Amino acid sequence: MADPVQAAQEDVLAALIARKKWRFHHIAFMAVGIAFLAWAADGVDLSPKELADGIPKIAKYFALMIPPKWVFADTVWQPAIETVYIAIWGNVLATLIGLPLGVLAARNITRLAPLRFFAKGTLNLLRSISELIWAIFFVAAVGLGPFPGAVALGMNYAGILGRLYAEAMENIDPGPVEAIQATGAGRIQVILFAIFPQVLPQFVTYMLYWFEVGVRSATVLGMVGAGGIGFELVTTIRLFEFRETAVVLLIILAMVTIIDLASSMIRSRIY
Amino acid sequence: MITLENVSKTYEGVSKIVALRNVSIEVKEGEFLVILGPSGAGKSTLMRCINRLVVPTGGRILLDGREVTSRRRELRAARRDIGMVFQQFNLVKRLSVLMNVLSGRLAYHTFWPSLLYRFDQDDKRIAIECLTRVNMEHKAFQRADTLSGGEQQRVAIARALAQEPKVILADEPVASLDPKIARQVLTYLKQIAGELGITVLCNLHQVEYAREYAERVVGLSQGTVVFDGPSGKLTDDILQQIYYRDPETADDRD
Amino acid sequence: MTAIDGAVAAALQLESVRRRRRLVKALGWTSLALAVLWFTANEIGLNPIALAKGRVHMWDFLTRMFPPDLSYIQFLGRATVETVQIAVWGTLLAVVFSIPLSLLAARNTTPLIRIPWFNEHWERLGLHLLVFHTTRMFLNCLRGINELIFALIFVSAVGLGPFAGVLAIALHATGMLAKFCGEEIEGVDRGQVEAMQATGASKMQVILFAVIPQAIPAFISYSIFRFDVSIRSATVLGLVGAGGLGFSLIKTLKLFRYPETATCILVIFLLVWATDWVCSKWRAKII
Repeated sequence: MADPVQAAQEDVLAALIARKKWRFHHIAFMAVGIAFLAWAADGVDLSPKELADGIPKIAKYFALMIPPKWVFADTVWQPAIETVYIAIWGNVLATLIGLPLGVLAARNITRLAPLRFFAKGTLNLLRSISELIWAIFFVAAVGLGPFPGAVALGMNYAGILGRLYAEAMENIDPGPVEAIQATGAGRIQVILFAIFPQVLPQFVTYMLYWFEVGVRSATVLGMVGAGGIGFELVTTIRLFEFRETAVVLLIILAMVTIIDLASSMIRSRIY
Repeated sequence: MITLENVSKTYEGVSKIVALRNVSIEVKEGEFLVILGPSGAGKSTLMRCINRLVVPTGGRILLDGREVTSRRRELRAARRDIGMVFQQFNLVKRLSVLMNVLSGRLAYHTFWPSLLYRFDQDDKRIAIECLTRVNMEHKAFQRADTLSGGEQQRVAIARALAQEPKVILADEPVASLDPKIARQVLTYLKQIAGELGITVLCNLHQVEYAREYAERVVGLSQGTVVFDGPSGKLTDDILQQIYYRDPETADDRD
Repeated sequence: MTAIDGAVAAALQLESVRRRRRLVKALGWTSLALAVLWFTANEIGLNPIALAKGRVHMWDFLTRMFPPDLSYIQFLGRATVETVQIAVWGTLLAVVFSIPLSLLAARNTTPLIRIPWFNEHWERLGLHLLVFHTTRMFLNCLRGINELIFALIFVSAVGLGPFAGVLAIALHATGMLAKFCGEEIEGVDRGQVEAMQATGASKMQVILFAVIPQAIPAFISYSIFRFDVSIRSATVLGLVGAGGLGFSLIKTLKLFRYPETATCILVIFLLVWATDWVCSKWRAKII
């Protein structure tokens, strides 16, 4: 008695083997791929030996973190909250800058090609340069502290959110837009009545999601002096205060987890 | 009321598509005109040319003796006088029914009050009256996506009525509805238009409905007018002509 | 017509009541949001005046960067290649780790732990999903910690160099990728799974033939997206000494050679932009 499932599987397998005849260019392709990966591995010092050396060292590093020195939490909780504030303002600024640019970059809203091109270019520039590089720039401008951190986060995220907003607006159902246009409504009225209501839930989802990501990014802004918990983290790591590092890491994790939960709760309620 | 003179439309693209060829129609005030034709005959393009959602490539269109142009201010004024009803209803799904109907009043205002989604008391009265005409006032505060298809189309008619239009363009208003609801919607449309003296242009592809509701029928086939006369004169020969590309569709009376 | 007038009047009244209620609610939420923003702005010393005052410094900074010293590009070739190599291996390792982890992190493919005589209480406590919850928690830890933090730790454990960067990106990207794919696996079409179960296939066969084929396009697409993100992260890993373009950036900055810094930023921008372009084309081709 032949098992039908097995028979089917064998058939599929046979067909697969028949189709996947090895040709020369397949082999050449594989060889090039493997050579590329080997070359890349060589470039980044990734080798079995390095791994065998490195991983025990990393394990040892983490082992030294136990037990965490809980008293250190007293010094860290304030910068931790500051990190959240930076993320909040970073995202507010990102939306304030990104939304107008996104509207200008959306194909179905802005008809003027040069304007659209300009908006897209600006968004790309904002997006490509990491928040840490922006932070270096703003720290140089206004001095150390969380304020330049928030502005830096705002700049980078304006680029990311602006592009997402633009894409969301480009992908809406064009029917209602046509209907509102047909009533004789003006440009801005069409945006307000036909486009915004359609994309609003998506906008809120993006904002919440990038707020979560923003909190995670804000934890490292302190490395370049732009406020938040990153400064404490760098200091303890540089001074090899393993048990203090553990406390900082745990506080970051707790913070991120709470915010993830809260935001997924809000997100499940908006639709 | 509406005069179309030699209106043509060619879609430029990978391949040229001629949607309309020298269409001339004269519509009198208060008329209920059905434009009949198989899908792809250019009915939708014809309608969209009238309120310039599609810009015609040739000919002119007069509304009350004035040409409809692309100049923004004039176009807004013309569109305000022309209500439109769509096959897919095209309500803004996340807004309330009332807000959808109120959006028919947008052309009466500048964008400043619209920024806060505000309308004045008169607008609201008009909107609710329009909803009452299609017997939907009891659902005014529900979100539009909670309604059934027929109800959505009635709200869409109310939105068009809220413009206080002289003309309503109905582009396949019942193509997405089942026959019973379709008759109901067409009845509303015809009855209200008759009461208010609104001229209606209605695209249909079912001969059945055209015979039942139209005062006058324009037959469109491959972008040209092949028939123009009272619905009583729609003989099988003429239907054959309208649907001549594939005669089976003539039997497709829903 | 009086009946209609009555109905209209009633609806209008209802509308005004509802509008007032909505207005109160909107005002409440707006003032709450403004209060939060005001408070946090004060806490982090956010003020536009400082930014306006800082424009002198910003302008100074910018003018000293211009014109960019383009001859410095010849020293950046190595760093650029290294950035790409870090991203390639970081993402590749993440993809490899994610395949098993994402199966463990999905409720419908995770191995269930069952104890025959204790099953009912066990399931009520959700303990049969122990593997699932543990994996998810582990992935959340990887996700929650920024790759730069990992890089810092690894640099201090194994020394400066791109090796630390690869590991950092690999870990963080694993967290992201495996969680996303776990959710994707949970969202597969139930019908296909049931059809496969109805044929009498074992659990492993169901996973192989009904679950994985459905999740693969999203997995590939997200992996490509992750590569794009990894390139962007790899450009800053150098700030903590984990290789790539960021190292040149911070070096020239510390030496106050601003025109060279400008060149670094330019190269980073071009690299990220080019990757973004390639990745979006690649993803479009796959979907």
